[in-house]
Amino acid sequence: MDAATTTNDRHAGARMRAATAVACLVSLVACRSSATGGGGRASSGPLELGPGDSGQAIHCAKVLTLDAGDTIHAPATILVKNGKLAWIGPRRAAPAGYEECSADGLWASPGMVELHSHIHSGGFGDTNDMVLPVNGELRAMTALRPGNPLVRRAVAGGVTTLYGIPGSGTSMSGFGVIYKSKVEGGFEDVVLHEVGGLKVAQSYNPERNAGDLGRTRAGLAWILEDAADRAKALRAADAVDLANEDLAKVMERELPVLIHCAGSDGFAAAARMWQVKYGTRCVLSHGCFDAHATAPWIVATGAPINAGPRTVDYMTTRDGAITGTAAKYLAAGAKDLSLNTDSPVLPQEELFLQGAMSARYGADDYQMLRGCTIAPARVFGLDHRLGSLEAGKDADIVLSTGSPLDPRSRVERVYIDGALQYDRARDGQWF
Amino acid sequence: MVSLLRRAFLLLACCAVAASATAQAPVAKIVSAPAAGEKGGPGLALRTKKALTVPLEGRQFLDDALILVKDGIIVGLGPARTTPVPAGFEVQDLGRQWVMPGMIDLHSHIGGTFDINEMVYLVNPGLQVSTSVVPANPALEKALAAGVTTVLFIPGSGVNVGGQGVLIKTGLDKYEDALVRDPGSMKLAQAGNPEGWAIGVGRSFMNWNTRDMFERGMLHAQQWREFEQGRGPKPVENFDLQIFRDLLGKKTQISTHTQIYQVVLSTLTMVRKGFGIDVYIDHGEMAGYKLAAFAQELGVQAILGPRVVEVPTRQFIQWTGSNPEALLGIAAEYQKAGHTRVGFNTDAPVIPGEELSLQATMGVRYGFDDSNADSVRGLTIIPAVTAGIDKKVGSLEIGKEADLVIVTGDPIDQRNSVEVVFIGGRRVYDTKRDIRRY
Repeated sequence: MDAATTTNDRHAGARMRAATAVACLVSLVACRSSATGGGGRASSGPLELGPGDSGQAIHCAKVLTLDAGDTIHAPATILVKNGKLAWIGPRRAAPAGYEECSADGLWASPGMVELHSHIHSGGFGDTNDMVLPVNGELRAMTALRPGNPLVRRAVAGGVTTLYGIPGSGTSMSGFGVIYKSKVEGGFEDVVLHEVGGLKVAQSYNPERNAGDLGRTRAGLAWILEDAADRAKALRAADAVDLANEDLAKVMERELPVLIHCAGSDGFAAAARMWQVKYGTRCVLSHGCFDAHATAPWIVATGAPINAGPRTVDYMTTRDGAITGTAAKYLAAGAKDLSLNTDSPVLPQEELFLQGAMSARYGADDYQMLRGCTIAPARVFGLDHRLGSLEAGKDADIVLSTGSPLDPRSRVERVYIDGALQYDRARDGQWF
Repeated sequence: MVSLLRRAFLLLACCAVAASATAQAPVAKIVSAPAAGEKGGPGLALRTKKALTVPLEGRQFLDDALILVKDGIIVGLGPARTTPVPAGFEVQDLGRQWVMPGMIDLHSHIGGTFDINEMVYLVNPGLQVSTSVVPANPALEKALAAGVTTVLFIPGSGVNVGGQGVLIKTGLDKYEDALVRDPGSMKLAQAGNPEGWAIGVGRSFMNWNTRDMFERGMLHAQQWREFEQGRGPKPVENFDLQIFRDLLGKKTQISTHTQIYQVVLSTLTMVRKGFGIDVYIDHGEMAGYKLAAFAQELGVQAILGPRVVEVPTRQFIQWTGSNPEALLGIAAEYQKAGHTRVGFNTDAPVIPGEELSLQATMGVRYGFDDSNADSVRGLTIIPAVTAGIDKKVGSLEIGKEADLVIVTGDPIDQRNSVEVVFIGGRRVYDTKRDIRRY
């Protein structure tokens, strides 16, 4: 393999931006099998197709791998074997038996990962069971409608994996499901983790007047800590309690927890409770309004931030000045900053636009692309399969006419697990 | 209650005292000399990586350019290497930033107070929305921060003829300074909203009623023309129909809220072909693109928005669970049919005024060919030509008003931000000096 010609570009952001101005005319996509595998037959073992194996070779203008070295290959070839990425590198001939997929002029990037989404039920609600304030026994997977219309539009926006979570109507609203935005297929085909993690709402929405605790932040905090402590105690005592089984896994770091916390007070409270006190695998979601004011301290605790749906703050300034929150988090040194849409609050297909607008308001655009791909995968422990284009990972590939963060670019094709889910030339433009 | 009222009264009284105290305090009036580029100030020379000059014809940009501004007017433009900086000009190197002309939004309702639908009569050619203007209001200031320097503030589409629009600049706080032209247009809502008038009215009646008013208006204007040329008696003044004298004299245009196939067809056949009036599609959306070739043939410009995409087949996707409907880019469809004068609008506040350039961006996303800077043209020179103000604004050319937008890169790529805006050579928005508003 031509390792020598591999472009290992540490200044990926600048390059990506510079090349964005190029408008690409996309030739019609032609997929055909390489009949005889005539020229340049590679004989590296893992790439060889055995009986029953399938392989595709996608030849494109550029690959943004989003790997640890921020490698960019241009022009490039991606080899997919049995739905997994087998090889990514400079343009090469396909090994024997691989289906040749021409993607002239197109950029390839990893399928985007959304950590804060409520469209798993297809917009039919079913996301807030609000009888009790703590619902550790509830699972969002029961409401999942695979391939629903909202999910189909998401795939046309390049989003391939979603964490579908209950709403923030209660303090602990249940456990989210991690699934892929495949157009066809049932539950078994799309679900990665039936119980993907917990959803906590630190404050704001769960404030209730139900005759029990939880009218104030003090009450809400007590409810959360009481539930957490009970789950820990049960695990310590080896006691069986089905309602708290999943919650105990969160407390033992076996499952992650995504926390709805909007402004600075909730943001800081969530970091204190879930990161500093309990040491869970928490991700602080939203970080809207004035939450960016707490950025240095949040970053110091090590709690990862998942910003959105508001990525600008114009409410805490008296003169209407706009502050880009992602830029603030980056400036404070946030690692693995990820972005969200809180779909359907913002349409799921506009996840990339969260990155684009954050770039407009001062954040580095390559970091924002990381925030839609590898960063959310990492903080949720999914990066062994998702978030970057590297051999061994799932073949979730987005082909677009330019930089995936430039709103002028169109998504032309999306593959999930190596299967073509959306093809603009075939299906028409869904987004 | 009584004590509350008393407290409120006391508070008011305190305020009054405080106010009179302030009024008596000496107020230092800061009079600063005009800045470089402004009227009366020294000249300003801007050096930029790329000037999107977008003249109507010819090369659309200039790399490494020098733009010379004096007394609010562009007095020089050329390659930085070969263009000398005149003595006394203040030079500002913009580094990697680009410069483009101020953007023009020809369909906007944010020019002032929102009382823009006087719905007693179905046609109101005499009503002037200029009476509602609030110069440099917060909505205009926000649009300004996105590079919009001129808007056509028009009446709503509650009735067929809502009245007269006014062309104003966004960032100037005196009406006299902000005014570009009054009447900026006569607003015609061909159909698709006025149906709700009174107890409801159909398309055929609206068509007859509008045509009837146009007949009377054009007759009135014709009589005045004959009188002025000494070929007829002095007509009776008709304040309501006065604007038709401007329309006949090509001093203003009709901006039309029009959208679906039959409605756009009425605009083209009735107004343009039938009456020969300068008219433009100013709410171009939905299936109107199917008439793009005909519009081009008649010389009717197409200013598109607020919808810039069309759903050609409507199904109840939420219920059937079928695939999302395929979308068509309306700008791309006009272009494919050979239309060469395509622009964009927001219908603000329907789409926020500050998202004007995003309309063009989405046009490109949905297939609008941008290889000749048609996206930028559709925000600048095309609307300027459409509204007949291209002698003053719409491109970077010598002799035009210095309405300049400084962007961190290509303005159609939304990752870039507007940093500075000049109107008539005046620095009316600067993120380094002011707050960032968009």
